[in-house]
Amino acid sequence: MNDRVIAKLVDVSKYYGSGEGRVTALSSINLTLLRGDCVVLVGLSGSGKSTLLHLLGCIDKQDEGQIIIDGIDTSLKSLEQLAFLRLEKIGFVFQSFNLIPVLTAYENIELPLLFKGYKKNSIKERVDDVLEEFGLHERKHHYPRQMSGGQQQRVAIARALVTQPSLILADEPTANLDSQTGAGILDLLIDLNMKKNITIVLSSHDSVVLDKIKTVVHIRDGRIVHTNISTC
Amino acid sequence: MNSLKLAGIAVRNLLRNSRRTLITVLVSSAGFAALAIVAGYMDFTFFGLQEMTICRGFTSSGGTGHIQIFRKEALQKEEHYPLEYGIADSEKLQQAVKLNKSVIATMPRIEFNGLISNGEKSISFLGTGVDPKKETELIHYWNALEKLSSRKLMDDSVYKKLETTSSNGVLLGEGMAKAMNAHVGSSLMLMGTTVDGAVNAVDVTVAGVVRSSMKSIDRYYLVTSLETAQSLMQTGKVSKIVVVLDKTSNTDIVRPLVFAKINASGNNPEFSVIAWDQLAEYYHSIRDAYRIIFSFIGIIVVVIVFLSTTNTMLMATMERVREIGTMKAIGISNLWISFLFLYEGFFIGLMSICGGMALKIIFSSIINNSGFKMPPPPGMSSSYLLKIFFAADFLPWISLLILFSTTCSGLLTLFKIRKLSIVNSLTHV
Ligand SMILES: Nc1ncnc2c1ncn2[C@@H]1O[C@H](COP(=O)(O)OP(=O)(O)OP(=O)(O)O)[C@@H](O)[C@H]1O
Ligand SMILES: [Mg+2]
Repeated sequence: MNDRVIAKLVDVSKYYGSGEGRVTALSSINLTLLRGDCVVLVGLSGSGKSTLLHLLGCIDKQDEGQIIIDGIDTSLKSLEQLAFLRLEKIGFVFQSFNLIPVLTAYENIELPLLFKGYKKNSIKERVDDVLEEFGLHERKHHYPRQMSGGQQQRVAIARALVTQPSLILADEPTANLDSQTGAGILDLLIDLNMKKNITIVLSSHDSVVLDKIKTVVHIRDGRIVHTNISTC
Repeated sequence: MNSLKLAGIAVRNLLRNSRRTLITVLVSSAGFAALAIVAGYMDFTFFGLQEMTICRGFTSSGGTGHIQIFRKEALQKEEHYPLEYGIADSEKLQQAVKLNKSVIATMPRIEFNGLISNGEKSISFLGTGVDPKKETELIHYWNALEKLSSRKLMDDSVYKKLETTSSNGVLLGEGMAKAMNAHVGSSLMLMGTTVDGAVNAVDVTVAGVVRSSMKSIDRYYLVTSLETAQSLMQTGKVSKIVVVLDKTSNTDIVRPLVFAKINASGNNPEFSVIAWDQLAEYYHSIRDAYRIIFSFIGIIVVVIVFLSTTNTMLMATMERVREIGTMKAIGISNLWISFLFLYEGFFIGLMSICGGMALKIIFSSIINNSGFKMPPPPGMSSSYLLKIFFAADFLPWISLLILFSTTCSGLLTLFKIRKLSIVNSLTHV
């Protein structure tokens, strides 16, 4: 397998429910993401964007097909078994930030590193670096409730980034923010992609996104209807 | 390092819902205190029972003392005639035993039985022949017990009366005195067998009427002087020598020393030296019964503590579904996440031990100062003042039990966490 490929989906389908009420969330998706790609998923509400991101992030299982992340076939492993993969290679950014409320900005960012078994000193160095990079140094000891949405989302991105993942997945990261703050967050992600060559997949309703990101996967009713990247 | 961080997070989570934490801690503290108080009561009862066994006894032969010395055969064989295996030279033996510094008294005793008659009616008795002067040492020992501040002091005047009643005084149990229609000063007759198997009788005078510790033996209870018993049995022997020590906890140290002292080295010792607890059937049966009751209470308390903490833990997991989902998505394993809850359980346990200790101390001092009277224990004839001891031996175990059950309920969240779907919990509000 080509080592420029970070993720490959082959004939992936996902259903919800069973019998009469069965909903096809994704049907026969074929998609190849390369290292350094910055991809935006677009589509109407209910089209399957989140579902696709969940599958890519190994926090949900497909019903059919094969998903290969960084050379690892995830099909045969349980979600719990894939925890190491998420910790090592994937960073998540959520629409509603999802910071741990009892932890400060610093501690939220530090959290994944604690479980990767880094030494105390190198953890501090890394966390301080990203805090600096994201202009969050002053907020270091603030709890999520003491920060604005934009700041929280930046902490969340810092948390996703700090483990140096190969893939960052962001499901509507700007949807809970005003347009100006949202644009800032978007720029931050694009910047990460450009400077660090981290693969980024995000979903969005926002047309502004399409002005900034040219690689688009358009989904309708669980199918890819248009894209300018490889679907094989 | 990592676990220290987890512990810190657990503490913050506990403070986050401090009211619920407080209630859970209170329930577990109450559990701890309940167990500790019951243990303190048991400790008191065991101690009281132990000293009662030693000083008064629960059989017709009186207080066991701390150690008793018998001829070895007396415990192994049936006697063909009374005192066949009695101790002949008891004075010498007592002198030898007294050399030990812990020994405060040695008391020769004769156990004998026969019939007592008032001329119209005869009933059987279980008698003890004692040296009244020496027996008072046991009473002094009892009266000097500091730990049992609530005990009834015993009166040594009856033994004095036994001494001063000129010819062959006897002390009768209340039941027997009633049956014989006798009171102090009445003349009665004892009939028994001599060591040669002949029937013999002596005239006696009632020196006192006493209440023995057990109702059931009151009707057969009789105490007289060694001389009276020996003249009835026509012998100079005694059945055993009872040894009183300065404190009960020295028994196990002194017993082998006494044994070595009175037995010539060799593999055929002449005398057996028995510790009080081997002579204390009643003590053991009460103790076993209490232990069973205590175990039941223990199980109930542990279950309540466990359920209450488990309930708190499950509520906490429900509240934190979204956080748990986030941690799972990041790639933190279920086990680590449940460790967070395990720590919470552990800290609830620690706080409960502190709270429980405080409750225990408060309640036992209230009880100890209230002068609350307990009804007589099974078979015994007098009520007693309730005291709660500190129960230092039990407290570590109770602490462990509480800590274990709260920590376990923390770990139980693992099942819940494992079942939680990441995707559903992320969209959970
Ligand atoms: N847990 C679920 N149970 C049942 N059906 C679900 C579930 N999650 C998603 N679906 C269905 O799967 C389809 C795809 O949903 P998905 O959330 O991926 O859409 P989306 O593109 O992210 O929409 P939006 O833009 O509103 O977030 C929808 O028809 C939705 O109703
Ligand atoms: Mg969505």
